Amino acid sequence: MPGYVSTFQYQSAICHAPQFAPRTYEHFTVNPVTGALGAEVEGIDLRTASDAAIAELEQALVDHIALMIRDQSFEPAEQIAFANRLGRAFPWPFARQMDGYPEITELLQEPADKYAFGGTWHSDSCNFEKPPKYTMLHCVECPPVGGDTGFSNQYLAWESLDPALRAELENVHTVASAELGYGTGSQDAEVLANTATPVTYTPDAAHETVHPLARTHPVTGRKALYTCDSFTARFEGKTQEESLPLLRKLWAHAITPEFTCRLRWKPGSLAIWDNRCCMHYAHSDYPGHRRLMRRIVVEGERPV
Amino acid sequence: MTVSLPTLRHPTAYDMQRALLHGPQLSPRGYRHLQVAPLSGAIGAEVTGLDLAGLDDRTMTEIATALADHLVLVFPDQGLAPGNQIAFARRLGPVKPWPYASPMGGFPELTELVSGPADIHNFGGGWHTDSSTFPQPPAYTVLQCIEGPPAGGDTSFANQVLAWETLPQEVREGLDGLRLIHATSKGFGDHARSTGSGDVTTTPVVVPAEHEGLESSHPVARTHPVTGRKALYVNAGFAARFDGWSAEQSQPLLDALAAHGGIPEFTCRVRWRPGTLVVWDNRCCLHYAHNDYAGQRRVMRRAVVEGEIPV
Repeated sequence: MPGYVSTFQYQSAICHAPQFAPRTYEHFTVNPVTGALGAEVEGIDLRTASDAAIAELEQALVDHIALMIRDQSFEPAEQIAFANRLGRAFPWPFARQMDGYPEITELLQEPADKYAFGGTWHSDSCNFEKPPKYTMLHCVECPPVGGDTGFSNQYLAWESLDPALRAELENVHTVASAELGYGTGSQDAEVLANTATPVTYTPDAAHETVHPLARTHPVTGRKALYTCDSFTARFEGKTQEESLPLLRKLWAHAITPEFTCRLRWKPGSLAIWDNRCCMHYAHSDYPGHRRLMRRIVVEGERPV
Repeated sequence: MTVSLPTLRHPTAYDMQRALLHGPQLSPRGYRHLQVAPLSGAIGAEVTGLDLAGLDDRTMTEIATALADHLVLVFPDQGLAPGNQIAFARRLGPVKPWPYASPMGGFPELTELVSGPADIHNFGGGWHTDSSTFPQPPAYTVLQCIEGPPAGGDTSFANQVLAWETLPQEVREGLDGLRLIHATSKGFGDHARSTGSGDVTTTPVVVPAEHEGLESSHPVARTHPVTGRKALYVNAGFAARFDGWSAEQSQPLLDALAAHGGIPEFTCRVRWRPGTLVVWDNRCCLHYAHNDYAGQRRVMRRAVVEGEIPV
């Protein structure tokens, strides 16, 4: 592992990203927010969007990985209906589901909460056999400032690794488990259980899943780095102690600021991102304020 | 001298909450002459409704207050001519030429930072505070965007008062009184050349002969002369070793402090447009120039305002 990312490697990776040459979209406007990933979308009502508009939205997701779509006034059932147009929305088993809408998890922060849900760099539920391909969050209420979500492009993370290291890691697998994040041994277990959105520990959390370290995206065919410290326990066939030194370097590399963007919320904004090629981070910088998001996850493929 | 250097754990959410609650970001004061909109819960505010080329003294006083509150102020749509940018910087303190790059023609107090489309490296990549190797590092940097890509080239800032206040009590006690050697050779010398970070093609950094080997010893916890609050004054760009310790002994703690200083909860991210002018306080924040605009040109003009000997 080189001491530092080769700037040339990520320059050559970024040059080929669609952030600099966005295509023209017919059904809405798309404004990239950084050179790496992320775009703001305006001018579409997802409740009444045509099939052509939804297809174009999926193209925009392929191009920009994380989208912040402004001004959506969803009722819960409408959000679920929209999610089901992108795949299969499924109930998330580690938190209480919204009454009457099991596909929705309400992520609530009360002013006195000391823990923010999602406050680490991670890809959602990568401990599942078939982790969600998309996650969508609809902002119901948010503080005037603070609570942004950061995203990091994991194609760029993979492509900017030293070629020799990439060759070495190409067929390596990792073991993921929710035990690290949600288990009884988790360092945050106590705060996790004592917030407005308690995460429920179940024996399932200890279930271990094996996934490729470099995951091939089924649509683009590009490889993306697929590991995070919230879920990755070790390399397959190695002990945790043997695995951690290189894993820690990969985790640090994966969040190089050049791979990231940061999206700011407003009530009514809906963010959708592709968990197969990005990680995200919920910024916990709004103590004393209330924040309510409705989350739906859309089932994905078994990572290959 | 300390017997051993402290080891660092990640701050808990509680450490974070406690520090953030006392910051002015979440309850900005009312200003009479400025419209101030914080950018994140930690640091930075956008200031609109004024022309920096024609400020009266009362407005300037409020700008100084807002800078102490928010550490970073973003003024969109300024488009200041070179003379006006220097004049604005002078109202914050003495402005001197920066000796490591050739000054802008006719305006020795300004450095033009140009990234060409073929540049591999950028100026100011990596978390750092400006010129901390000087005995009296600049208090403020005044940077204006002349030309930039439509997306990319943001600058992030990290609040080092929060970084200090969220360190565990025992670590703060271990660090208080400790001094750090900031070395030019680390940021711009052989070390930088070997990692490539000092190799900026369009705006070459040339260390003048009298600065070769320049090192300064500064406190790890720096007290801000205006607010009296302590800030972590460690940056990966220039930090060579703790005073009295070898580089090897120092590196693990330096790495841990560098990682701590850039925790996303301490940061904001500023997007530039031509004409945007940003002022930040180097005494209590770090910044990072994002190099994510390959193939495109970016031109910035920078003035630095002299500061005190850090205490």
